[in-house]
Amino acid sequence: MNSAAPKLHGHSLLQDALQRLLRNRVAVYSAVFLALMALACFVLPLFACIPNPNLTDLDHIAAASSLKHWLGTDHLGRDMLARVLYGGRISLLVGLLATAVAVAVGVTYGMISGYVGGRTDAVMMRIVDVLFALPFIVVVVVLSLSIEDPCRQITASVVQLTGWSHDAVAPILGLLPVFLAIGALGWLTLARIVRTQTFVLREQEFVLAARSLGLSHFTILFRHIAPNLLGPVIVYTTLAVPGIILTESTLSFIGLGVKAPNSSWGTLIKEGADRMEVAPELLIYPAAFFCLTLLALNSLGDGLRDAFDPRSVKD
Amino acid sequence: MIRYIARRVGQGLLALFALESLTFFLVRALPGNPFLGERKLPEHVLAQLNSLYGLDAGMGEQFWRYWKAILLHGDFGPSLVREGVQVSEIIAQAFPVSLELGCLAMLLAIVAGIPVGMLAAWRRNTRTDALLMFCAVAGICIPSFVLAPVLGITLGAHVPGLSVAGWDNPLCVLLPAVALGAVNAAYVARLTRAGMVEALSSDFVRTARAKGAGPGRILWVHALRIGLLPAVSYLGPAFAALITGSFVVESCFQVPGLGLHFVNATTDRDYFLIQGLVFCYGVLIVAANLAVDICQAWLNPRLRS
Repeated sequence: MNSAAPKLHGHSLLQDALQRLLRNRVAVYSAVFLALMALACFVLPLFACIPNPNLTDLDHIAAASSLKHWLGTDHLGRDMLARVLYGGRISLLVGLLATAVAVAVGVTYGMISGYVGGRTDAVMMRIVDVLFALPFIVVVVVLSLSIEDPCRQITASVVQLTGWSHDAVAPILGLLPVFLAIGALGWLTLARIVRTQTFVLREQEFVLAARSLGLSHFTILFRHIAPNLLGPVIVYTTLAVPGIILTESTLSFIGLGVKAPNSSWGTLIKEGADRMEVAPELLIYPAAFFCLTLLALNSLGDGLRDAFDPRSVKD
Repeated sequence: MIRYIARRVGQGLLALFALESLTFFLVRALPGNPFLGERKLPEHVLAQLNSLYGLDAGMGEQFWRYWKAILLHGDFGPSLVREGVQVSEIIAQAFPVSLELGCLAMLLAIVAGIPVGMLAAWRRNTRTDALLMFCAVAGICIPSFVLAPVLGITLGAHVPGLSVAGWDNPLCVLLPAVALGAVNAAYVARLTRAGMVEALSSDFVRTARAKGAGPGRILWVHALRIGLLPAVSYLGPAFAALITGSFVVESCFQVPGLGLHFVNATTDRDYFLIQGLVFCYGVLIVAANLAVDICQAWLNPRLRS
């Protein structure tokens, strides 16, 4: 280091990580792909070139790709591109919202458990162990069944209070059981990771310094410890999104997730699988969108992990 | 070591009790009841059914009776939806199917995943590594509900001996096992690579190298023991999940296994069946975690103290 340099530019951990990430070509391509996919699913349908996914074009039933229907139509004459994009909307939305629920719960739970320590920590972690041992599918089914009724009531009261039409509110609120159920279990792994990390952090000098300044536990936890958890949390979150999208699609595939007339990639894949002998492209298109998105998310997550893991500098 | 195992068994039993109790109250908190069929039953018939199965007693009383039956008689009770069938009969019928399928899928995950991970770690940062790990990520991204129908229509329909659906000849198990095992093989490959990379760059491998151990010996004897640890801790619970069946794969290939019951019992509110299934699953998970702990202590001398 040149000591005569007039100004030293420090690099924060985040900047370092970002630089390493930008050097990783696969991760950058994945990020670009995901941005394009998000644009296609959320913005493209606003323009007229994408028809309503539930509109049946009776002149073109089960049609092949054409200028009018880029990816052809299904057995009811619905435009496949529109269906896949609208399905992606739901899948991505559920993936992001459920991950947000999972991250919020997991980080808070893990931080408290690791920070308090002792017997509280032991009890809290045993609870996580027990929940881990529950068969995932049973919990998700139980939760989505038991949240269904309250959700319907919420929808009804929202309609009553705001005066919005039922058709506008119902599809969005109808997703509530799905992402609550998924989010309710998705936090377990994160809670463990955060707890271990907090456990190490709370012994560090800066926490001691903060404590001797007389800061409250709340401030120490959220202002001083939480920012240091950012790395692992970002990495885990990116890797959790594909898992959660997968869970949503599995649920929808089974018939417990997104309900008609809404569709997600999972329901589209299910419909495609049912008619695979007749029209394999009904399976191929949604499956391709779905798998490529998962691939990009996983690659981005791997890139982030390498970028945030200081040991990877060695290689 | 024995004390350590005894403590882990004790913790496992406690976790099992908590798990089963949680399930007991969770399923009863569900809206609806097991006797809601196509036809609405008259009030007095419903009351009769409830008292027949002991569902009219208080929660505490039911809970007590349930545990007494399990602990004293090993009795999980009757199915509430399939009349006259015991929960234990349903499980005894479906479990061997899922066990066979799960074991084969597990075997596939190990046989395909571990060598791939080892090769990738050995040729780290080369094209081989990149290609193998890309395949592994791709394997994770093709879920069983895409793989299962595709396998069925491409191989099942055309290769003689294999079938699209059913469970009537010994080769039937192959395609579902591939659909079930592929994702796990991909995970195992990634974990093995990560573990091996870590192990190959550790001090004890350098020592072994300095003492003149050949590359084969370093890979297979020194590094593999430690490099397998992450894969082993994944494989334990994964095995428990695999042999209790997968709803998606079993419904795609029409396999009469346990996986279907997990979902159907819950949507049917078949309380006793759900409890029995969760009990089975819990026992397997606890046992698998215990096996993982013992395996790890055996593989890693540092954990033994």
